[in-house]
Amino acid sequence: MMTYAVFILSIVFVIGFVSFSSKPSPIYGGLGLIVSGGVGCMIVLNFGGSFLGLMVFLIYLGGMMVVFGYTTAMATEQYPEVWVSNKTVLGAFIFGLVVEIAMVVCVLEGEEVDFIFKFNGLGDWVIYDTGDSGFFSEEAMGIAALYSYGTWLVVVTGWSLFIGVVVIMEVTRGN
Amino acid sequence: MNPLILGIILLTIMAGTLIVMISSHWLFIWIGFEMNMLATIPILMKNFSPRSIEASTKYFLIQATASMLLMLGVIINLLYSGQWTTTKMFNQTSSIIITTALTMKLGLAPFHFWVPEVTQGIPLMSGLILLTWQKLAPLSVLYQIAPSINLNMLLTMSLLSIMVGGWGGLNQTQLRKIMAYSSIGHMGWMTAIMVYNPTMAMLYLLMYLTMTLTMFMLFMINSTTTLLSLSHTWNKTPIITMLVLTVMMSMGGLPPLSGFMPKWMIIQELTKNDNIILPTLMAMMALLNLYFYMRLAYSTALTMFPSSNNMKMKWQFEDTKRMTSLPIMIVLSTMILPLTPMLSVLY
Repeated sequence: MMTYAVFILSIVFVIGFVSFSSKPSPIYGGLGLIVSGGVGCMIVLNFGGSFLGLMVFLIYLGGMMVVFGYTTAMATEQYPEVWVSNKTVLGAFIFGLVVEIAMVVCVLEGEEVDFIFKFNGLGDWVIYDTGDSGFFSEEAMGIAALYSYGTWLVVVTGWSLFIGVVVIMEVTRGN
Repeated sequence: MNPLILGIILLTIMAGTLIVMISSHWLFIWIGFEMNMLATIPILMKNFSPRSIEASTKYFLIQATASMLLMLGVIINLLYSGQWTTTKMFNQTSSIIITTALTMKLGLAPFHFWVPEVTQGIPLMSGLILLTWQKLAPLSVLYQIAPSINLNMLLTMSLLSIMVGGWGGLNQTQLRKIMAYSSIGHMGWMTAIMVYNPTMAMLYLLMYLTMTLTMFMLFMINSTTTLLSLSHTWNKTPIITMLVLTVMMSMGGLPPLSGFMPKWMIIQELTKNDNIILPTLMAMMALLNLYFYMRLAYSTALTMFPSSNNMKMKWQFEDTKRMTSLPIMIVLSTMILPLTPMLSVLY
């Protein structure tokens, strides 16, 4: 079962996305986001990126999601919509679940299915350890590269985040 | 808007487009598009009226969807080729998805529905930025992936756009919607030649930018947004009537004005590639475009449109809007045709 950890986590990831794409109230959508965020972190961990995975937990879930939770708690409505309270939301959720289960059956059963992409069965989802990664963790080297070779990327992404905040404040300023 | 914030936002719009144009890594191109879109939203909502906010919401939804499709195409390309450079698409699926995303950003048919509605809800200056600067980034990416674009899809979209641009603009009296439909049609001409000879598409882009800039500047002098208001310019600024006439005829593609040059070159390149029916249809649909430009010029310059008597006797105020580059743009929009042999320097 541990061999297919990434596969199982990816299924839970997609189901988490389906749960908030079916548009319940934002508080329940936040629950779906937390589930997806946590599971995404574990997928990153499975690929050997321990630092980045825990960073997701810390910054994304522990920082941004907390702020999102507080703001939706402030702006909540009197009767929030949960998945079972509204037929539309329930219908969208079940539709997404059914499509996901169909895809899982497709992957589990077939040898090679060629729908738009080639699904090669479960073999695609196993992480192989070739033992060739050297003495340094690839992920740590990647982070180091971000701050040395990737200076321009840091500048651009930093500026984009700053502009995101400026734009949001400008848009919600009103007059 | 606070001038410092306005400056930062305009700087980011320009930086976003420049990042798209100079990057060779698909992730950076996506980042540039997102930066551009995010910073354009406050420019579109400068007026803070419900109409402006609706227009900027529509713009945001369409552009965000297109960015997501672009990311999907990029990742599929990564799956099949293992690298992120923007030379050619290694897979038909990713090529189709990326082309769809870029044509959604440009406003080609069948993704054109947002262009008139967004252009109508925003002030003239924002409409100018939307219809000129925002076309540069997607067209530069289309230029880079031009050899691997699916020809059938792009030609269908461009022919549809020329038709939609022609027929859609026929019943309009709002000038911003007319400019939006004209933009849809011109984008159709540009993307039709993109696969065969991308240099001609760049030529058309250059002429389109010049002419659209000139038209918007002429509208901004008197802040006219409707046909009725434009028909009163004979009393306010008589020179504008003649300029609107000439620039409109140039946009319609009539020789001897310079708007004829890009259309001529495109038809020539298409016939060189054994395409006869397509340029015939394109030229016929461009006549619809010419019809509503003619109607604009008719009611502005050729007749004194019916108006009440106090509209015929306005106070002659001094013109306070200084449009320094307007004479240059007028000359560039109307008198460049004799320079066509100079096109050989583009190669």
